[in-house]
Amino acid sequence: MENERKLTIARAMAEATAQEMRRDESVFVMGEDIGQLGGVYGNTRGLLKEFGPERVRDTPISETAFIGAAVGAAQDGMRPVVELMFVDFYGVCMDAIYNLMAKNIYFSGGNFKVPMVLMTSVGGGYSDAGQHSQTLYGTFAHLPGMKVVCPSNAYDAKGMMIEAIRDDNPVVYMYHKGLQGMGWLGTEQGATVHTPNEDYTVPFGKAKVLREGSDVTLVGIGMSVHDNLKAAAKLEQQGVSAEVIDLRSLVPLDRDTIFNSVAKTGRLIVVDEDYKSFGVSGEIITTIAERDISVLKTSPKRVAYPDIPIPFSRPMERFALPNPDKIVAAFNEMK
Amino acid sequence: MEVTIPTNLWEEDSDAVITSWLVSDGASVNEGDLIAEIMVEKVQHEVHAPSSGTITITQPAEAVVSKGSVIGSIA
Repeated sequence: MENERKLTIARAMAEATAQEMRRDESVFVMGEDIGQLGGVYGNTRGLLKEFGPERVRDTPISETAFIGAAVGAAQDGMRPVVELMFVDFYGVCMDAIYNLMAKNIYFSGGNFKVPMVLMTSVGGGYSDAGQHSQTLYGTFAHLPGMKVVCPSNAYDAKGMMIEAIRDDNPVVYMYHKGLQGMGWLGTEQGATVHTPNEDYTVPFGKAKVLREGSDVTLVGIGMSVHDNLKAAAKLEQQGVSAEVIDLRSLVPLDRDTIFNSVAKTGRLIVVDEDYKSFGVSGEIITTIAERDISVLKTSPKRVAYPDIPIPFSRPMERFALPNPDKIVAAFNEMK
Repeated sequence: MEVTIPTNLWEEDSDAVITSWLVSDGASVNEGDLIAEIMVEKVQHEVHAPSSGTITITQPAEAVVSKGSVIGSIA
C-alpha cells in the first residue's frame, strides 16, 4: 500500500503545475516573486529550478501588462498560469481580466480559445487589513466568462489545478492564504491531507458533501468549509445533525447538490468569508427560493463578512470574520 | 530513532514553528521522506525522516521548537 503522503495546498499546487509543465510544453508560469522565491505562498516552489526562467517568469509589479500578455499568449496557443499575488489588487488589471480574458472567446465567436489560469490569493484572518484580506469570490463569479474555483484542501487543490490548466476557458483559481500551510498566515491544519503522487483531475461544478446530516445544510467554500466542519462537530454535541457542503467551484455552481441537500434537511445556513450583500450567500439562497421554496422549514441564514472594509486590528478582524460559534448561534436562532 | 529539528537549516538561534506535519501519528515512513515543515521568520524549512518505520509524533503542529528539539520518533 502507498504510504500516507500529506501535502499542504501550496505543495499540491506546485506539484500539479510541475506535472502539467512536464506533460505539456505550452504551459508556463508568470507573476511577481513566483520564480526565485517560489511564490510568497509557496505555490510555485521548485518550478524555476526544474523549468528555467523561460517558462517560469518573474515579472515586475505590472499586473495589467503581464495578465494582458497572458491573454495574448493563451489566444496564441500557450497555456499560461499567471499569479495575481493578492486578489485585492485586481483593480489595476481588471480590464485585462474581464474585458480581455473573460470575453475574447465570445467576441471572437469561439474562434479563439483563452486557456489560461489566473491564480490569486484570497482571505484574511492574520491582520493584514483591507487591501490584503478580502476573498472577493463573488465579484469574479458575478462577471460572466470566467470559471471561478477555490479548493479547501490539498487533494482538491492538486486536481483542480490540473483541471484548470487543461481547461480551454479562463479559470480564476482562488486559494485561501490560511489554507496554504504557511505558518505566518495562520494555518488551518484540516487543509493538509493525503494527496496521490500521480496526476488526476477534480471536475469543476461538482460540490462535495463532506459530512452527511439531516437537520441543517451548511454551505461554504474555501476556509468557510473548515468553519462549517467545526460547527457541525459542535452541533452534534447538542444533538443536531448537520450536512456540510464544499462548493469547490462557484462558476459553474453545483445547484443540484445544494438543492438536494436542503430538500432533505429543510434548513440552510450559508457561510461566506466574502461580503454579505450582493454576493455568493445571496446566490445560494436564491437557488433554493427559485427552484422550490417549499422545501425550507424555516428562513435561511447567512454567516458572512459584514459590509465593511476589513479591519487591521486583530480583535476587530476576529469580531467580523465568520467562525464556528457564529454558525452554531445562527442555527439556534432558526427554529 | 528520534526525529529532531536539524541544527544546520538556519544560522541564528531563533525558534521555529512546526507549520505542518505531512504524515499522521502512527503512519509508515521511509527514510528520507518529507515528513514536516517548519518555519523560521517566514522562511519554511523541511524535516525528513531519519529512518524507516512507524512514526510517533510528540510535538504537534503549531508547536514552537528550536534547533535540536525532539519532535517525534520512528520505530
